[in-house]
Parts: sequence; C-alpha cells; structure tokens
Amino acid sequence: MKTKISAFVDGELEADELARVIESLGRDDASREAWRVYHLISDAVRDTALRTTEFSARLAEKLAAEPTVLAPGRLPAERARWIALSAAASVAAVALVGWLAFAPGPGLRPDVLPSTPLASLPAPSSVQPASIQAVQPVARQAVAVPLEAAVVPALPVSAQMADDYLFAHQEFSPRMSLQGMVPYVRTVSGPVTQGARQ
Amino acid sequence: MNRGVLGSAALAFSLACAAGSAFAQTAPQDGRAWLHKIYQATQDLSYTGTFVYQHDGRSETSRVTRLASPQGDIERLEVLDGEPREIVRSKDGVRCYLPQSRTLKVDRHSTGRRFPAMLPAQLTELLGYYRVRLGATDRVAGRACQRVSLEPNDSYRYGYELCADQATGMLLRSTTLSETKQPVEQFTFTHLEVGEVRPEAVAPPHATQAWHIEESSVRPADLGAQGWRVDADLPGFHKIVEVVRVLGAHEPVGQLVYSDGLAAVSVFIEAAEGRRDSVQRGAASIGGINIFVREVEDHIVTVVGEAPAASVRRIADHVRYERPK
Repeated sequence: MKTKISAFVDGELEADELARVIESLGRDDASREAWRVYHLISDAVRDTALRTTEFSARLAEKLAAEPTVLAPGRLPAERARWIALSAAASVAAVALVGWLAFAPGPGLRPDVLPSTPLASLPAPSSVQPASIQAVQPVARQAVAVPLEAAVVPALPVSAQMADDYLFAHQEFSPRMSLQGMVPYVRTVSGPVTQGARQ
Repeated sequence: MNRGVLGSAALAFSLACAAGSAFAQTAPQDGRAWLHKIYQATQDLSYTGTFVYQHDGRSETSRVTRLASPQGDIERLEVLDGEPREIVRSKDGVRCYLPQSRTLKVDRHSTGRRFPAMLPAQLTELLGYYRVRLGATDRVAGRACQRVSLEPNDSYRYGYELCADQATGMLLRSTTLSETKQPVEQFTFTHLEVGEVRPEAVAPPHATQAWHIEESSVRPADLGAQGWRVDADLPGFHKIVEVVRVLGAHEPVGQLVYSDGLAAVSVFIEAAEGRRDSVQRGAASIGGINIFVREVEDHIVTVVGEAPAASVRRIADHVRYERPK
C-alpha cells in the first residue's frame, strides 16, 4: 500500500487504484501516516517547508477555533473618522513625555504669591507633532469664539493626572442626571489624545 | 409626524404592558417631557446592562448595574475590556478599584453634599441653549427607543443625539456631536435589563486590606475670596460648585465647576511651587472631554470640560488672580 501511496503523492496512479488508495486513507492510520511522510519527502525535495504535519495540525486547530466571519459591513462615515482620529492619537503619542506637573507640591497659598502678575508665558520652543492638529480648529473657531492666535501645543499629560482630574470632574457633571454612572467610564478609559481636538 | 409620535406612544405602551413594567407610561410627546422621563428613569430604576463606549478610534465595553433602594442607591461600573477597572458609587462616596495595581481610590462625600440633579428648573435653563427635537423611533439593544436631539444654539457647546427606551426612558444611546456635527464620543447599550437587581450585584468586589488606598475628600470653599476670578463670559455657563479637594497627602486643589445645565467644565487650581520647570500651555482630549493647562501666578490651572476645545480654552484663558486687598 505504501508504494501505492507514494505513487499517488507523485500523481502516478491509475483511476481504479486511486479509488482504493483514497479508501485506505480514509480508514487506516498507517496509510495516513505514510501519506504525510511522502508529502514531507516531496515537500523537502521541493524545499517547501510549510506543509509539515505540525503546520497542518495547527492550521486545523486555528480553523476550528476561528469564529464564523459574517461579511463585515463597510464602516459608516463616523467610524472612519474615529479611526482617522486614532491615527492622529498615535502620532500624538510620540509627543508624550513624562510630565511631573501634578507631583505633590505646596498647595493653594494665594497669600504668599508675588504681587506682579506673570502674564506672558513662554511660547514653546519646538512645535510637537500633535500641535499641528491644533492649528486648524483654532483658526476655524476664530469667528465664533475669539481666541489668541498662539498655537496650543500638545499637553504632555500623564495618565495619572488625567485620571485624577477626570474623576474629580465627573462627579459634578449634570450628565449623570441623564446617564447615571455611564459617563464615569471616561475616567478609567485609556489614554488621552494629545493636542486640541479637531 | 403626528402619526409617528402616536405610533411610538402606542408602541411604548404595548411594550410596557408586555413587560409588565411598573414604569409604564405613554410616551411623552415633546422633547422636554422626554428629557424629564430620561432623568426620572436614571433616578428611579434598578437595572443592569452592557454598553460600549467609543471615542478616539477606540471602543471599550463595560457593565453598569444600579440598585435603587430606600437605604440609598448603589451603582457599579465595571470595564470589561483590557485591564480590569471598577467604580462603585453610593451615598458614602465614589470608590475606584484598580486590581492590577492593587489601588483603591476613595472619594468621600462630605455630609449633605448631593450630586447635581437635573431639576425641572435646570431643564428650563437648558432649553435656552439647546433646541430639543424628537426624531424617529429606533431600536437599540433590542429595545424600541425614541430619538431626541439636543442641538446647541451656538458653538460654545456640543450637541447630543440621544435614543431613550420607549418603555422605561433609560438612555440607550448617547452620541456627542462636535461643532461640525461629527461624533466625538458615543455610549451605546448592547444589553439592558430593567427591574430587579440583587444586592450582590453591586457589592464591593474586592478584598482591599493589602491595597494602596488613595483617599480624597472635598470641602466647600470660597476661591473668589482668595482672589481667583474666572470671567470667561461663556453664554449659559454659570458656576455650580466651588470646593477645595484634598487628594491623599497632596496639597489642596481648588475646583470650580461651570455648567449650562447639561455640559460641565471644571477649573482646577493648584500651587506650582516645587516644580522644576515652568508649566507650558498645553491641550489634550479624551472623547468629548477637552483639557487645557496653563500657569497663572505660580499656580497651575487645569480646565477639564465636556465642551468644545475653544470653550474650554476660553475658560482657561480667563482665569486670573487678584491679590485680595
């Protein structure tokens, strides 16, 4: 039978013999093992290492585990935009640096403040990638909401800081009157996007 | 239109009857009544549901459970994707459980403090800044719902597209829309059960004896008397809360909250002393929340708000300090 299987692998069997070999493959473990071995030999000769038994077993497992994929629909326009935003966010992530602004420090003590106001703040010396995102909305908003012309750089915000302030803010949001706890998920929901929103 | 409203009223009624619900009402026929119904549902109902929060190209699934009880309502929120995170809110305060870092954040309520509730008066105020319209009926999480849109009269605030359960008034979907009507975030229930909730379902989920506990508390404050001014003059936004918040061993942080009855913006003020570098201006956002930071008189001002970036920035730019005489 092994000779026959070898011939089958090489495509050299006559039709009547072919039927018998296929039948034996269906019921006989030894035949199936021979089938695999001959294929391995054949693959090795042709230098295609992919068709190993291990590979086919893994593939079979994967296929069995794979959920049935129902044809995915096209993303609606709004989702596409969110994905675009996420691309912007990953660019912005480059700008993320360790920021210690909210490390413990002395508290609110207006009484010990200097009397001269420090009105002008230094402009950032280098423009971070995400600040490019910020330019356009500011310009677009200029008519409705008068704003300074300055570019707003991405905020090198730490996750810890964002969490604490979002948490503190959320508590007072009237939206909880309409949604209960649901909006609170924002306080524990992943990284913030750097730069002003588009 | 009339036929649609009547049809949805009839549908809501038949659904409510079918569910044997104690909250059976005919569907309100105007936007204001619907907002009130949504508010009432949030205050009165016990429920458990799964919702998806979409923002910034991400989506995250969470479960929310609420037990309404005469002894005090308890709400629990569990994030189901990624790192486990939970928040439990009760009359004693808000607790945030972060099991991976074994951290518990506790925010205690001072006595007598209430969460801002949307009273009919606030509803009237809100209607001055948003056009409320009833839309078509829709279906979310297998439940018939009524679309309600809140369209802002100006660009100082976001718009909202809501869909409320016809039977109970529960908000099944809420989309926040930018000035250009693009969605910036969306909450959508995929499953909701209204009715009986077992107390175990909202019980504190972790043994936290060995955890790192970060306690914070708030007390009323008069930041104006200390010299802080916020003259942003954003139509509709007025101060609703003024507190000092103490976060663990950190020094106190002042918090002023401005709201138009629906959106809220918080101004946090803390001393910048002890920092190595000067604070640079900066912006960040998460979903429908924008954040701006700047320095004012050796203090760091952080403005966090559910409003367009321009509005949040405008508030941040108008925080100033006047030395009390």
